[in-house]
Amino acid sequence: MIDLQVLTQAVGDLDEKAILTMIDDFVATNPSGEDAQEVVFACQQGMAIVGELFEKNEYYVGDLIFAGELLSKTIELLKPVLSGVATQKVGSIVIGTVEGDLHDIGKNIFGSMAEAAGFDVYDLGIDVSPSAFVEKVKDVKPQIIGMSGVLTLAIDSMKNIVKALNEAGLRDSVKIIIGGNPVNEDACKQIGADAFTTNAAEGLKTCQGWVK
Amino acid sequence: MIDAVAMTNERNQMFRDLFSGKTPKRVPISNPATQDFAIQYAGLDLAECQWDLTKLEPVYDKFCQDFITDTYPGGSIRIPSHYQILGSTPIVMSSSGFMQHPEVVGLLAEEYDQFIASPYDCIVETILPRLYTELNGEPGKVAMALAKAMRAHSDDLAYLGTIRAKMNAKYGYAAMAGALTEAPFDFMADFLRSFKGISGDVRRYPDKVAAACEAVLPLMIKKGTLPNPSMLGYTFIPLHMAPYLRDKDFATLYWPTFKKLVETLAGMGQNVQLFVENDWMRYLDYLYELPENTIMRFEYGDAKLVKEKLGDKHIISGFYPITLLQTGTKQQCVDKAKELLDILAPGGRYWWQADKSVINFESKGPVAENMRAVLEYVHENGTY
Amino acid sequence: MDSKYYVTWEEYLAEHPELEGKPIKAIAPKIEKYEDAVFTFIMDLLL
Repeated sequence: MIDLQVLTQAVGDLDEKAILTMIDDFVATNPSGEDAQEVVFACQQGMAIVGELFEKNEYYVGDLIFAGELLSKTIELLKPVLSGVATQKVGSIVIGTVEGDLHDIGKNIFGSMAEAAGFDVYDLGIDVSPSAFVEKVKDVKPQIIGMSGVLTLAIDSMKNIVKALNEAGLRDSVKIIIGGNPVNEDACKQIGADAFTTNAAEGLKTCQGWVK
Repeated sequence: MIDAVAMTNERNQMFRDLFSGKTPKRVPISNPATQDFAIQYAGLDLAECQWDLTKLEPVYDKFCQDFITDTYPGGSIRIPSHYQILGSTPIVMSSSGFMQHPEVVGLLAEEYDQFIASPYDCIVETILPRLYTELNGEPGKVAMALAKAMRAHSDDLAYLGTIRAKMNAKYGYAAMAGALTEAPFDFMADFLRSFKGISGDVRRYPDKVAAACEAVLPLMIKKGTLPNPSMLGYTFIPLHMAPYLRDKDFATLYWPTFKKLVETLAGMGQNVQLFVENDWMRYLDYLYELPENTIMRFEYGDAKLVKEKLGDKHIISGFYPITLLQTGTKQQCVDKAKELLDILAPGGRYWWQADKSVINFESKGPVAENMRAVLEYVHENGTY
Repeated sequence: MDSKYYVTWEEYLAEHPELEGKPIKAIAPKIEKYEDAVFTFIMDLLL
């Protein structure tokens, strides 16, 4: 019997050995889909601890990245016993690093935290054009779009993407959050986004607020 | 028509004074914009001018003419030709024409031992072929790719050198030599293990990370060594990963070999300039320990606190926020320059540089004018 | 630096006895220069 509280704490502690041992043992018991869902939820709570420790400056970005990796590994191990169960998703987000920019560390951290929190995340990758964003939004109809960039020229690209969404009549159906070094309140207004963040944990909170 | 030789001598002296902890006659300034900016400022195509370097002389002439600076402008440059010839994956030109570094993995976790045994062997045999596709194939083809790339790069550097010599002769810049190296931990992270990879390594195999840093330290020292240690110039070390580590990981894995690197270079009589990227405020006490007159250019932080803690021993630079050039009025930009001068200049050991490089130019935007105003202001009012 | 891909002048000379009697003062700096040139080029590909 897996101890969910211990698992949550192990995730919070980023104790890879403990987590993987518990998950392996759990999967070996051939559990039900519902029990597997509980395990996923326990991991998500552990990720919330990670987020809190990050905000307290006990964990740093490197730890967030490691946490994202641990969570992906864990979900992979649980996939065989999760299939057949409709996993509860809180919403969906399309993310991408905007055209002209190749940086993706921050976007990737945000993406894994959002996935951990129960979002369906569609990651378009780097150097993403306005038309690629528009096509994806038409396709998956997300609640939220996240645009990322590190170079200041990303601001222009973000403006273009919002313009393209407007032209396609899609702007009103989504919330837009921008992330990365150059984003601030001014940029947010100029671009026509709904929110901005330079902190993945904070950005996630904003998105969770939007889908409540 | 200025007396360029006299200007160069004057500027050389300013920097000699600055680097040895003496107070120069005024605060030296360096234009924070890069060659990318200069090309756009001249109204030319960014990608084309990085390939056809013959287009660059008028670009630099206009750049030097319009923006006052004591050091040759242009910043660190990645010239695309040799990267293209080698089939580069770690440095590529994006759709916007800017050379950038997407996340790549040159060294797999299971290859740590191979690297530790002989870093240079591992680089040649495993890492380069993985990252540079043309270095991965039949020996004849690989040899040719390397030969072509070295020749292209050497020709490019020589050509840019002739432009630099002309600009120096016309505008009288300080004649400074440079070498580039990195802290061993950053070297392990940037192109080898990647940001994501090293973040996991720090947790999973800290011993191997430490051993790899020690193993590669001699290569980083050699890389950072100037042709002649007493020549006017510096070894440039951009600092990357520390802000993303917990304190204890910084202390055991990042700091020891980084400190040894700076101490060894300084011990040879060289100047070292650190580009202290992102937030090092929690590490100021460590920075204080470095050899006297280490140049520290800060991207971020509390200028007052930095001056207080480090300013009597080290040369402080940076802090000027380039985003203000984009969002502020001319007066606001100049006021900010004054504010930083008032904090950082007293007592000496201050070099005016911005918090990071300006790479993008918008013709309708305020950056060029604001930057010009700020550089002029510091040139005219930058006294200690 | 212990590597099969980097040869110091002393190591090179030991492997090339045919250079005895040749103008070593002119040869040595040139051989070293290109060994170091490749080193700098290669390392810059990773910086």
